[in-house]
Amino acid sequence: MNPNEFDVIIIGGGITGAGTQRDCAMRGLRTLLIERSDIATGATGRNHGLLHSGARYAVNDAESAEECIRENMILRQIAAHCIDETDGLFITLPEDDLAYQQTFVEACRKAGIGAEIIDPELAKRLEPSVNPDLIGAVRVPDGSVDPFRLCAANMLDAKLHGGQVRLHTEVTGFIREGDTIKGVHTRNRQTGEETDYYATVTVNACGIWGQHIAELAGVKVGMFPAKGALLIFAHRVNNMVINRCRKPSNADILVPGDTVCVIGTTSTRIPFEECDNVAVTPDEVTLLITEGAKLAPSLSQTRILRAYAGVRPLVSADNDPSGRNISRGIVCLDHEERDGLKGFVTITGGKLMTYRLMAEIATDLVCKKLAIEKACTTAQTPLPGSEEKSYEAVAQKVWEAPTTAQKAAASRMGTRASRIRSSNRRDDDLICECEEVSVGEINAAIDRLDVSTLTDLRRRTRVGMGTCQGEFCACRAAGLLVKAHGCVERERKDLADFLQERWKGNFPIGWGDTLREAEYTQWIYKHVLGL
Amino acid sequence: MKFDTVIMGGGLAGMVAGIALQQAGKNTAIVSMGQNALHFFSGTFESLQAPSERLAELFSAAGIRVHYREGVRLMPLGTFKEAALSLDDIDLFPTPKFGRRVLIVNFLGYHDFFSSFLAEGLEKQGMECRIRFLSLPELDNAKAHGEMRSVQIARSMDRIWEKVAQEIRLLLKDEDTVILPQVFGLLDDTIPGRIRQAIPARVVFAGTMPPSIPGVRTQMQLRRRYELLGGTFLMGDQAIRAHEHDGVVHSIATHNLDAHYLEARNFILATGGLYSKGLVSNPFKITEPILDLDIDQPQDRNEWYNPTFAGDQPYMGYGVKTDEHLHAVKDGVAMQNVYAIGSILGNTRPNLGSGAGLAIRSAFAAVDEILRSTSEQSEI
Repeated sequence: MNPNEFDVIIIGGGITGAGTQRDCAMRGLRTLLIERSDIATGATGRNHGLLHSGARYAVNDAESAEECIRENMILRQIAAHCIDETDGLFITLPEDDLAYQQTFVEACRKAGIGAEIIDPELAKRLEPSVNPDLIGAVRVPDGSVDPFRLCAANMLDAKLHGGQVRLHTEVTGFIREGDTIKGVHTRNRQTGEETDYYATVTVNACGIWGQHIAELAGVKVGMFPAKGALLIFAHRVNNMVINRCRKPSNADILVPGDTVCVIGTTSTRIPFEECDNVAVTPDEVTLLITEGAKLAPSLSQTRILRAYAGVRPLVSADNDPSGRNISRGIVCLDHEERDGLKGFVTITGGKLMTYRLMAEIATDLVCKKLAIEKACTTAQTPLPGSEEKSYEAVAQKVWEAPTTAQKAAASRMGTRASRIRSSNRRDDDLICECEEVSVGEINAAIDRLDVSTLTDLRRRTRVGMGTCQGEFCACRAAGLLVKAHGCVERERKDLADFLQERWKGNFPIGWGDTLREAEYTQWIYKHVLGL
Repeated sequence: MKFDTVIMGGGLAGMVAGIALQQAGKNTAIVSMGQNALHFFSGTFESLQAPSERLAELFSAAGIRVHYREGVRLMPLGTFKEAALSLDDIDLFPTPKFGRRVLIVNFLGYHDFFSSFLAEGLEKQGMECRIRFLSLPELDNAKAHGEMRSVQIARSMDRIWEKVAQEIRLLLKDEDTVILPQVFGLLDDTIPGRIRQAIPARVVFAGTMPPSIPGVRTQMQLRRRYELLGGTFLMGDQAIRAHEHDGVVHSIATHNLDAHYLEARNFILATGGLYSKGLVSNPFKITEPILDLDIDQPQDRNEWYNPTFAGDQPYMGYGVKTDEHLHAVKDGVAMQNVYAIGSILGNTRPNLGSGAGLAIRSAFAAVDEILRSTSEQSEI
């Protein structure tokens, strides 16, 4: 059999693509996932990392709210090592209408979301960072999720089920015979190598870039690029998610995640040309800080680590200029039915929270096309790493008396942390001190999770995500990548790219300690290390 | 407490000014937070050519060994950079191809020395490289007390350098050059030279991730010299406020000394740039926190940055305004007894240079101004 022939090709290495590949692979299909950049580089890695309870959508979009709470409960079971069960608050501030709280709670209950009105005093005790002026609080089952980890775990599971992954590989065109898509032409963006891959069905899971891929295939999918800007703070100020109890608006969600917290977001329509390089404007930064401080006043004194923005893959429906009123609903297009093009499916819309459901819907359609009858099991089967619920229990099992760094590794890798237990004590050397990432964890990522650059490594291990923003660990990690890939020339460029990418998120918030750190980094790389 | 001159900041600029004033018979104090740019010193004095007689004397009296030659030096990531006046630790070559066969030695588990980058950089110049790792039980013991970083290793090396030299002799085959990480001679600056003698090949020390061992040592040597000359070094303290009257500063308050103000006839501000907190920034402007001096800067924050990381960054150019005598300017008026030196001036003073050159040139210039003005005053 031709090694480049598959049952299904999935284009797009975001969470939808990764989830779809996992589902297809678990149903016994021969799968190939193609991603032009790295995992989770689009909307997947550029959001709050909020494990929505669905409460945010309850009033305006009951369907999304119901999907959210169902998937929320599933993800807690199957993706334990990617999730932090923090719970969330919806707070009412003096300038908000307290009457909305009642509407909100009723809508939540209707959607099946456990929403409980609590005394503002209790809210302050549960979450000391919350604005003490609050006049109302509702507790909901929100949480936080690491989208990079979730994406990598889905892809890893697909690979464990025989799937293949080609990262940094771009689809340059489709192989079409009559009214049927037979495969894709691709080009590896690192090596320039061109390869054709064949499959009975090709799934377009490219988020906002799905419009372009559909065009390549000769069909039209209208997308609506809506930019959302966010800020990461250098400390985990809050332990529970804090939302505003009002109609969804700008900068009204504060999510804790690992060692940081994230405020967002804004919503602005942008032209398609900007999707590849979205920038955060000073106005957005100001708005995010001002509104964020209303949720947790200490944010106005907290160091900001980065600014970033993502593009929501909304499917165009009406002429709403903000994009907020469009349903986050899932759109699965069978192009054979819709456009008479066989062998091509688009899965889009939706959101991080509903990726598994989207994958299930897309896989059901793929299976129908392949005439395979096999039920979806992704809702019951834990992802690799999530077989155990408590990371502390994992750390204990692996190391007996784990250090804090080892506990941190277990919280990131889940049960896969057992892979870094080795007789070589050099594996315990710390590469990234901010996030406590060891040599062993980095090597485990390089071995199993398709790492070709430092930025890839960051998404899988949190190297360089901490307060120093890679100033110290980038060089160290580059040394390990050289060992793995054997090419210094390439690594030198990679290091420069990595620092450039960090700077991109730093300068929009370049003042105070962030600018201090940047000045230090810029000085040492240029004058001391000689990059 | 009363002094002729109080110097705020104990980096290269502040130390040089303090030593020069003490040598001229002045009674000075230096208020130093502790860490400064010497802790990430490359070992090459940026923008300085041959040392002036005055600088050479100052270095020699402090025991700082420097040499001068126009050429290139090896950088930690395997690139070459033009360099002139440097510490003895740094080798200066006429051309980048300084050897034929090179043995690069690192310590097992030390990630802050970039042996593979060095090898690739040297191979590009036509040198053959071999990388070897030394595994030393002494370093494993050090590891038990924390991660292996330059200072931890250097502390061990001060004790076990002879054993290391012995091991390297065993590793050496037909190489004419040995490259070692710059982790030798933290306290005893004769060690790098003794290692060079102990190994039968040319020994080149290549830099590591900061802290810079030669830089930390230089800092200690300058401080020792300053204190030997009778200077008062207030370690771990910082100026928090200046008391002025009619544009003349008469004393400063520091963090540790509480109500015991430091009085002086002259004040030197050598508190560094943004990294050293000599300048601070908020979303709207860059300010000087002790005296609120004037700073040239654009209104729009977007102009502070070059979106390209490796490009010249405008924000690094913003510094406190001075008149031609380095008197610091506040509200448009030059303060007659306050001098600004070093990187608080920003890096856009072409006549003073940048980095170490800026620090040293501006320090001497301010010292000369102070000596001239005090001799004029005594004549009156």
